[in-house]
Amino acid sequence: MPKDAQTAQDTLLDIRDLSVEFRTPRGRVKALRNVSFEVPRRRIVGVVGESGSGKSTVLWAILGLLSGNARVSSGRIDFEGRDMLRMSEDELRAARGEEVSVVFQDPMTSQIPVLSYARQMRDILYRREKMSDREKRRRGIGMLERVGIPDPESRLDQFPHQFSGGMRQRAGIAMALLTEPKLLLADEPTTALDVTMEAQIIHLLQELQAEFEATVVVVSHNLGLIAELCDDVVVMYAGEVVETGDVHDIFHDPQHPYTRALLECDPARLPERSAKLPVIPGDIPDLTRRLGGCIFADRCPRVMEVCRTDTPPDQPTASGVARCHLVGGPHADPDWPPPLDVLTVRTGEGGPRRAAPDQHAAPVLEVEELNVRFRTAGALPALVRRIEDPFVDAVLDVSLGVRQGETVGLVGESGSGKTTLGRAVLKLVEAQAGSVRFEGQEIRTLPEARFKPLRRDMAMMFQDPVGSLSPRKSVRALITEPLQIHGVRGVDFDAEAERLAGLVRLPKAFLSRYPHELSGGQARRVGVARALALNPRLIIADEPTAGLDVSVQGEILNLMAELQAEHGLGYLVITHNLPVVRHIADRLAIMYLGRIVEQGDAEEIFAQPAHPYTEALVRGVPQPDPDRRRTHVSISGEVPSLMNRPKGCDFVARCPYAQERCRIEKPEHRVQPDGRVHACHFPLR
Amino acid sequence: MAFYLAKRLGLSAAVILLVVLVLFSLLYLIPGDPATIALGPRATPEAVARYAEKMHLDEPVWAQFLIYVGNALTGDLGVDVFSDRPVAEIIGERLGFTLALVSAGLGWAVLLGVPLGCLAAVRPNTVFDRITGVLSVGTIAVPSFLVSIWALLIFAVGLGWLPAIGAGEPGDLGDQISHLILPAFAIGLSWVGYLARMVRASMLEVMGENYIRSARAFGLRPNKVVFGYALRVAILPTITLIGMGFGGLISSTVFAEIIFARPGLGKMIFDAVMARNFPIVQGGVLVATGLYIVVVLISDLVIAWLDPRVRESL
Repeated sequence: MPKDAQTAQDTLLDIRDLSVEFRTPRGRVKALRNVSFEVPRRRIVGVVGESGSGKSTVLWAILGLLSGNARVSSGRIDFEGRDMLRMSEDELRAARGEEVSVVFQDPMTSQIPVLSYARQMRDILYRREKMSDREKRRRGIGMLERVGIPDPESRLDQFPHQFSGGMRQRAGIAMALLTEPKLLLADEPTTALDVTMEAQIIHLLQELQAEFEATVVVVSHNLGLIAELCDDVVVMYAGEVVETGDVHDIFHDPQHPYTRALLECDPARLPERSAKLPVIPGDIPDLTRRLGGCIFADRCPRVMEVCRTDTPPDQPTASGVARCHLVGGPHADPDWPPPLDVLTVRTGEGGPRRAAPDQHAAPVLEVEELNVRFRTAGALPALVRRIEDPFVDAVLDVSLGVRQGETVGLVGESGSGKTTLGRAVLKLVEAQAGSVRFEGQEIRTLPEARFKPLRRDMAMMFQDPVGSLSPRKSVRALITEPLQIHGVRGVDFDAEAERLAGLVRLPKAFLSRYPHELSGGQARRVGVARALALNPRLIIADEPTAGLDVSVQGEILNLMAELQAEHGLGYLVITHNLPVVRHIADRLAIMYLGRIVEQGDAEEIFAQPAHPYTEALVRGVPQPDPDRRRTHVSISGEVPSLMNRPKGCDFVARCPYAQERCRIEKPEHRVQPDGRVHACHFPLR
Repeated sequence: MAFYLAKRLGLSAAVILLVVLVLFSLLYLIPGDPATIALGPRATPEAVARYAEKMHLDEPVWAQFLIYVGNALTGDLGVDVFSDRPVAEIIGERLGFTLALVSAGLGWAVLLGVPLGCLAAVRPNTVFDRITGVLSVGTIAVPSFLVSIWALLIFAVGLGWLPAIGAGEPGDLGDQISHLILPAFAIGLSWVGYLARMVRASMLEVMGENYIRSARAFGLRPNKVVFGYALRVAILPTITLIGMGFGGLISSTVFAEIIFARPGLGKMIFDAVMARNFPIVQGGVLVATGLYIVVVLISDLVIAWLDPRVRESL
C-alpha cells in the first residue's frame, strides 16, 4: 500500500506470498494462501477479518510462533530486509520481545498469574545485561506510569489478579513497549474490554504510537477499532488478502464485494433502526479442499461465471489492491462499486416485517424494586475482621417491564449486574426483596415446586453458545432436552426436534452432530431452538451475539425478530453491545453498579441520552468511519467494585458533569412526562 | 492469613479429637473386657485387676476418655502394656527412622519424577514421552512390597552391594544411609510414576495457556519458559499430592519396614496390633494422624507462598 515513493522505500515489514498449512485430522487446512502486504514505518496497519480469515495466523507467523502442526509452505517475511522465516531459532528469539513485541487479546489469561509485574518485566529485559536490576525496575515504573497506571511504584510489585481488566491491558501494553520495539503487534487489543475502556485503550495506543514512533500492526475483527486507530487496512477472508488500502479508501470506497459486505453488515453503520439486519449468507469455504477461482465466490452477491474458475489477480486500486474480477481486467464492471447507500447484500431471510409492539399489550414480565445481595465474607470472618456489612448489592432497586411482543435491551458493562438480574428473574439466583411478576403472578416468593411449571413459559439463551451445550449429547438430544426435563409426554421427540430445527433453519443433517462440530452461529441456533422448545412467552437472551462474526450475527437477530413477530414473544436482551441492541430493542434499560440509571424508548435514548453514563456509552462505541474519529475520551476510569459503592451517585467518580450534590446524595429514579426514567441530579435533557 | 491459620488449626484439632474418639472406642467395640483382651486369656485375675486400675478401667467411659485426652495433651500417651515404658518415648525412638525413610523415599521420587514429567510434557507424543509413560504406569502398578522383595534379593542377597536388614549402627551416618537406600528405593518407585504422570498432565495444560505463549512472544529462553513459568504454575497441584503422599507414607511404610526389618512407626503399630498392645496402637495412630495433618497444612502453606491468588484468599 505505498502512498508515494518515499514511504515505499521505508518499509519495515514486507510479507510476500506467505502460505501456511495446518495438519489436522480432517486433512491439510490451507490457512494462508499467498498473503502479501507491506507495513511502512511509523504507520498503523490494521488487519481485519472474521473468524477463520487467518489474521491471527499472520501474526503468529511473523513471530515464528505457529503451533506445532503448522508448516510454512512458501513465502517470506522480510523485517528490515532480513527474512524472518529463514532466521535461526536463536536469532528469532533475539528479535521477539526486543524488536518485535505483542499486545495480547485477553489480559486476563495472557499474563502469568503467579509472578509480579516487576518480575515479568525484569524477565522481558533479560537481554539487557548492562542494565542493573534497579535500572530495570525504574524503567518498569516509568512505563507503567506512561500507560496511565496510578501509583506505579507500588503497583509494580503487584500481581495481575490485583489489577482490574483495563489496568491489566495497560500493563500489557507497558510490557510490550518496555524494550521500545520497532514493530508492535496488537492482537484484538480491546476485544476483552468494556466499551468505555475500549475507547481509552484506543486513545492510549494512538498516543504511544506517536510518542515512540513505533510501527504497529493491529489484528482485529472490530471495524470500529480499525477505523479509529489505523492508517492502512488489510482485509482478509478465508486465508487470503482480498483488499488493501488507505483507511479512508477502505471505509469510504471499498472495492472488493467482501469488504463492502462486511461494512454493510456492521450494525454500527446502519443509520437508523432497521427491521432486518443485512447478512452475508453461507459459511467460509472448507479450506481443506483444493480451491479454484475466487475464494468469496460462494457467498458473493455479484458472482460471475469467471469467478468460479479463475482466481482473480490483484487489481490496483486508488491506494492498494483488490483481488476481484469486478475491479479490473476483462470482466471489470464500470458501475461497480455502487454508491455506499445502496445495499449489496441481502437483509436476511424473508418473513414478516416486525411491527411496532402494541403499547397496550399485556405485560409478560414486571419487575419491581428487585434487590439481589451477595455475601462477600462468611459470618465468622466478617465478625473477626469487623466488616459491618458483608454483603454487596448486585442488583439494587431495579424496576423493569417486558410486554408481549416487545424487546427490552438491558445494557451495561461487566459488573453492572445485568446477568444477575436476568438470573434472578428466572429464580436461578435468589432475590432478597422486591417483586417479580410473570403474567401477573408473583413468582419471587413462589416455592420451587410451584414455580417449575411456570418455568416452561420462560426460557434462557445462555451467553456461551458452545459451553452451555453438553458436549456428549447430539443436537437432536440437546434440542429436546427441555421437553425431557419437564417430563413432556405424548410427543414424538424426533418430530419435535425436526420441527424446532426447521424453525431456526438448522439443516436436518445437523441433528446428529455434536456441539464441537458446530460453528458459532450454528451453536447459537441450537441455543435458540432449545429456548423455543417449550413454547415460552418470555425469552431472556444473555449476550445473544457474543462471539459471532458481524456477517453472521444479523442472521441470529433476524431469526429472533421473526420468531417474535410470529409468536408474540417478549424478549429481555442482556448485552453490552450497543450498536446491536439499538436495532432490536424497543426499550432500553441502562445498568450501572446494579442500578438502572436510565430507562426509556430505545431510539430516543440513542438520540438524546439523559444520564451522563448513557451518553458515555453511546459516544464510546468506536465508529466504523475514519472521518468520525474521536479526539478525546469522554469518560475515564473503570466501573468501581461493588464493595465500595460511592455514597452519592454511583457514577460520580467518572462523571464529567459531577457536582457537590452528586457526591452526597444518591439520585432517586425520576419519571419524565414522556415515560423516560433516569437517576441523575443534573440530567442532560 | 492469621484467620486462615486459626481456622485450619481449629479444624485440625477437631479431626484429631475425632480420631482419638475412634481409637478410644476401639477398645470397647471389641467384645469382652478390655483388660482381658489386652492381657490375653491366660492373665491372672490379679494382673487383670492391676491393669484395670492402672488404665482407669473402673472409671465411667466418658471419664476415661477425658483422662486420655487430658494426658495426650500433656504428651502422655499412656504406657506400654508389656514393658511399662511410656508410649510417647517408644514412638519417639521410632519416629526418626520412619521420617528418614519417608523423606528419602519421596525425596528421590520428587527429584526424578518432576523433571521426567516436565520433559515428557515439553515433548508430547515423542519416543521419550511414550517410554516414560509406559514406565510410569508400570511403576505405579507394581506393589511396593514386591519391589521391596526384589530389591532385597537382587541388591542385597544377589549382588551384596547393600545391607539387607536393619537401620544401621546408631551414630554411624554412612552405615545408616546405606541401610536407607533399598527401602527408600522400594517405597519411592511408584511415586516416581505418579509424580511424572501428574506433572506431565498439569504441564501439558499449562503449556497451552496464553501466558506461556506470551512468555515465548517476549523471547524468553525455552528453559526459562518451561521451568521458570510453566512449572511454577503446574507444580501447584503436585504439591498437594506430595503432601498427602508424605502423610500417607508415614503409616504405609509398614511393608518396607517389615521386609527390611527396620524399626519404625508402621512396624511398631503393626506389631502392637498383633500383640493387642492397645496403648501403642492408639499412640502410634494418633501421632501418624497428627503428622499427616501437619504435613498437609504445610503443603497448603507452600502453595499459598507460591501462588499469590491463593495467598490473598486465605
